[in-house]
Amino acid sequence: MNQNTDLLTLRSVSKAYGTVPVLHDIDLSIRDGEFLTVLGPSGSGKTTVLRLIGGLEPLTSGEIRLDGEDISRMPINRRPFNTVFQDYALFPHMTVSGNVGYGLSVRHLKRTEIARRVGEALDLVQLGLFAERFPSQLSGGQRQRVALARALICQPRLILLDEPLAALDLELRRQMQEFLKSIQREIKTTFLFVTHDQEEAIGMADRICVMQAGHIRQLGTPHELYYKPNCEFVARFFGENNLVAGKLGPVQGEQRPIETALGRLVCSIGGQPHLKAAPDGASAFAAFRPEALHLADATDSGNRFSGTIADLAFAGSSTVATIAAGADNASQRLRLRMPSRIGGSVLKSGETVSLSFAPHEGHLVLA
Amino acid sequence: MIALPRPSTIFLAAITALVAVLLYSPLFVPIVSSFFTISHGNVDWSSPTLSTYVTLAGNHEILAALRTTLIVGLCTVVLSVISGTLLALYYHGRRSGRSYLQFIIFLPFLMPPVISGLALLIFFREIGLERSLLTVVIGHTVFVLAIVYRTVLMRLQSMSRTLVEASYDLGATGWQTFWRIILPNLSSAMIGGAILAFALSFDETMITILVTGTQSTLPVRLWAMMRLGFSPDINALVALILMFTVLLCVLAARFLIPRQMATERN
Repeated sequence: MNQNTDLLTLRSVSKAYGTVPVLHDIDLSIRDGEFLTVLGPSGSGKTTVLRLIGGLEPLTSGEIRLDGEDISRMPINRRPFNTVFQDYALFPHMTVSGNVGYGLSVRHLKRTEIARRVGEALDLVQLGLFAERFPSQLSGGQRQRVALARALICQPRLILLDEPLAALDLELRRQMQEFLKSIQREIKTTFLFVTHDQEEAIGMADRICVMQAGHIRQLGTPHELYYKPNCEFVARFFGENNLVAGKLGPVQGEQRPIETALGRLVCSIGGQPHLKAAPDGASAFAAFRPEALHLADATDSGNRFSGTIADLAFAGSSTVATIAAGADNASQRLRLRMPSRIGGSVLKSGETVSLSFAPHEGHLVLA
Repeated sequence: MIALPRPSTIFLAAITALVAVLLYSPLFVPIVSSFFTISHGNVDWSSPTLSTYVTLAGNHEILAALRTTLIVGLCTVVLSVISGTLLALYYHGRRSGRSYLQFIIFLPFLMPPVISGLALLIFFREIGLERSLLTVVIGHTVFVLAIVYRTVLMRLQSMSRTLVEASYDLGATGWQTFWRIILPNLSSAMIGGAILAFALSFDETMITILVTGTQSTLPVRLWAMMRLGFSPDINALVALILMFTVLLCVLAARFLIPRQMATERN
């Protein structure tokens, strides 16, 4: 198990249904043992990526390599991958143990061997007591765990999960996220997890691949995607981000200014050569997180501008202010998030305040 | 549900009751009168009796016809369930030419039986097949095929595609997937279709009269008895056939309507 070796590689993979293209020239490497999440809105092609890898759909062009070997034409039932389907696809006429043991029994393993491994798999997903139930007698979360046990009993190289938590309610979804993550750590198998929920992606993944309209927009750790989005789509898709449009100014070391409706904002370009290389005057966005924005004090030398508090929303641990800024304090909407205080917020709705964020907390995104 | 003003509800209920009475009351007349004797054209209501049933049991022609009907019914069921299921599987997996296939399967069921029967009769004569129980079985199979086909196809279409995908994904071959996943999920639809097919074959008269040889099935025998004059046996026979058919339909419904599984959680 080495997270630095590639288990599976997609090379310029394209897929079209008839004449409708759904994937354009995808390149993607999945590392051995990692938890990789493919994240995108519906119609982004994320499920298609999973179905191509699983062998449920043929490629239109390109190739898929497993340990460097081309498996693009390997039939689905010979690929060492197993899928957890969105609707679980449990066999309704079989008991829980019949479902879990199916992958072994079609390979003609001995009954005793199957029974032993089914027992182990059910213990792993904490369903040992439910072996003789039918799927219709289980709750959503239990069915989910049966589907997982059924997939991992075959000891696949890769487990493909197609939005497996979408049908569960919020509380159960949180529990299942932790559960999936802990199982993945325990069995040390590579997980490819498809979701449209960015919170789910941030919480579980080692790396996230963001897709949109059949293209991969960015691949990186949740931290990278959150703080260093490489395009407007990722910056907007990932959590609530403040994006302010403007024109780039000349590079100043590891920072670069941008002229915006809020004035000149200086942002970090650390470690991102494409931001350094962009010509002066190029259209771009200054991106900064709501939690990076704060009330300016006299010593603040960072990016300062004024704005009017249009709305205040208490959200438990934090309070979110919607701020109108820019020309006449109206052209630009921003969000500011600060920890809530027991005495009520220091901010007052309708008040005009001076705001600021530090250059190292600002980021540039090319338009 | 649409809430209607009270007078309209009462009006609709009255219409429904009237239709039900007009449709179903004739069915009860032979059942009731099968338990009474008839003398001089008048029913003798004073003494309920099972004598009509006793007479019927002693009627060897009727019993032979019953045996023929059962043989024809069973053969028809076997043939139509196998071919109907295969056609449904073929149709489900196909993309083009589906509507033609559907049309051809439904044609004999939708055409007036006398036309289907005549077409079969001419066909059998042309290929030189003697009229016998075999021709009756073929005629019935062609007639009831649409029912089995439709029942199995509906089940196939309601079956989640991911079940088959999951089976392949877990390493099963196409053959294993068919025997272990597809067929078990179709079985109750096949049983339901078989019962309906049997009930249809049991009652079929028109096609049977046209294509049968010397042996007659129960409905055909009944028809013959009617021509010779009204006999009290007929009431008993009608009552029995009615009960049997209703029983079959109830059984079929049990298999075709998805049962509410007992859920311990939810």
